[in-house]
Amino acid sequence: MKRDKAFELIIKAFTLVSVAILGFIIFFIGAESLPAFRYSGLAGFFTNERWNPIGADPVFSILPMVLATIYVSFLAVAIALPIGVGTAVFLSCIARESARRMLKPFIDLMAGLPSVVFGFMGLMVVVGYFEKHFSMSSGESVLAGGIVLAIMILPYIVSTCDTTMAEIMKSHKKTSDSLGVSKWHMIRYLVLPAAKRSIFAGAVLALARGMGETMAVMMVIGNSPLFPRLLGKCETIPALIALEMGGAPVGSLHYHALFAAGLILIIMRFAVSMAVWQIKKGSDF
Amino acid sequence: MDRRRKYKEIIIWSILSAAITFAVAFFIIGYIMLKGSRTISAEFLLDSPKGFPLGSSGGVYPAIIGSLAFTGVACAVASLLAVSTAVYLKFYCTSRRLYNVIRLVIESTAGMPSIVLGLFGYTLFVLKLGFGVSVLSGGLVLGIMIFPFIEVRVEKRLGEIEQDMLLSSYALGVSRYYTIKRLVLREALADIISSVALAGGFAMGATAPIILTGAVIYAKAPESIMSPAMALSYHLYVLVGEGAPLEYVYGTATVLVMLILAINGAAMLIGRMKRGE
Repeated sequence: MKRDKAFELIIKAFTLVSVAILGFIIFFIGAESLPAFRYSGLAGFFTNERWNPIGADPVFSILPMVLATIYVSFLAVAIALPIGVGTAVFLSCIARESARRMLKPFIDLMAGLPSVVFGFMGLMVVVGYFEKHFSMSSGESVLAGGIVLAIMILPYIVSTCDTTMAEIMKSHKKTSDSLGVSKWHMIRYLVLPAAKRSIFAGAVLALARGMGETMAVMMVIGNSPLFPRLLGKCETIPALIALEMGGAPVGSLHYHALFAAGLILIIMRFAVSMAVWQIKKGSDF
Repeated sequence: MDRRRKYKEIIIWSILSAAITFAVAFFIIGYIMLKGSRTISAEFLLDSPKGFPLGSSGGVYPAIIGSLAFTGVACAVASLLAVSTAVYLKFYCTSRRLYNVIRLVIESTAGMPSIVLGLFGYTLFVLKLGFGVSVLSGGLVLGIMIFPFIEVRVEKRLGEIEQDMLLSSYALGVSRYYTIKRLVLREALADIISSVALAGGFAMGATAPIILTGAVIYAKAPESIMSPAMALSYHLYVLVGEGAPLEYVYGTATVLVMLILAINGAAMLIGRMKRGE
């Protein structure tokens, strides 16, 4: 009986510690970014000026970085979505069971590759290609970031869509076959429409992931805090934090501004995730 | 006729997409392995990086040990806390409201960008708590990162345990502690280990959380958890930035990818063995 109580106590203590730490993170980031918001106001972060954290009169406009983060991640989803959904259709509806079982692990394998490896390959292959064939002085650009990020989020989209589509296939295959409906008709008029919600949820999930990605994107976008253009350099919020944090003296406005940038990124991601939650709530599957 | 063409488009689209996806997957893995395998030798695995720029000769031994150390600390901390939390939520938490609050906190951590976690760890662990740039600080940040990953999987697995078995156990007057220890955790052990290993692979590949908190450009293999360490992922980033000779960059990438593949492979195997496949 004593052991019973002790075990329960330990479990409760560990849970409390976990929840306390995790809850503290959000609170901590909010508190650390407060001085920066107090200095320039919320509007001060979204003016049409340049990010200049160390001047005599520091300016913390992160509008270019916010736009760059959105631009790169939307571009990535736009590239990855049609390919990802197509691959999921192939895996769940067209490939034979044996082929599916052989190919599916490669999707998991790709999802497990570290982001710094994607960044490295992106630099070698994508950026290298741009410099060689597009006569760009530097291939590092929003487009390069979008392509590399697209490759990175592709496995997530495939996984989410494939699971749903395989389920739909399984539950309706017999009925469709006995009615003499062709496979193509079934894909077009049953599987795709029924998986619509799941496709959308997968896309939004991938978008949220892309917005928070640091390494792979940072290594191929050039990192200058400019307003993003497709073939120009840019800097995303995670890249900004990663590059400037080491050099910002603790307690300085610059330091607090980087926390504020982190908070804004969290809010952006949260807004996107809320969308997924709304979809899930109304889901039929 | 028109209809048939529409179907043809779907086939072409899906086959083309699959071809692109798998070509990219094979290309990335194959290309790195192919280029890196030439560099890998006993010397590369067992020597420290040397030369200028750093990594132009020598090997990656301290980075391998450092990566394992970061991953070990992260897994130890996260698995203990995550499994406890999952057990609590599944077996002890009786208030629906409390359950939802805890779930919300866990899910919002899962949605936290890893660089923001690094920022948090840098201020709290490195500066305020005085752990310094160390294996401990970096490992703790990675632990926070993989906590939701493990908790969600373990909780799901605990939920799959047969309700009848639990009820029989309770009905026989077996205490909750004994039921959890002897029935629940034993039944789910393989899957718990598999989840922790998968999370370890995830932690090992992460760079952003340890840039500020634990990884350094050069260090000996760490002697204690309070010393700073090299990590393969960060080393790869540094080599690329410094413009080190490509064969060393590919070699480092290959070692990192192989280690992660080995961990993930082991995780999958453990999960499958239990199910007797």
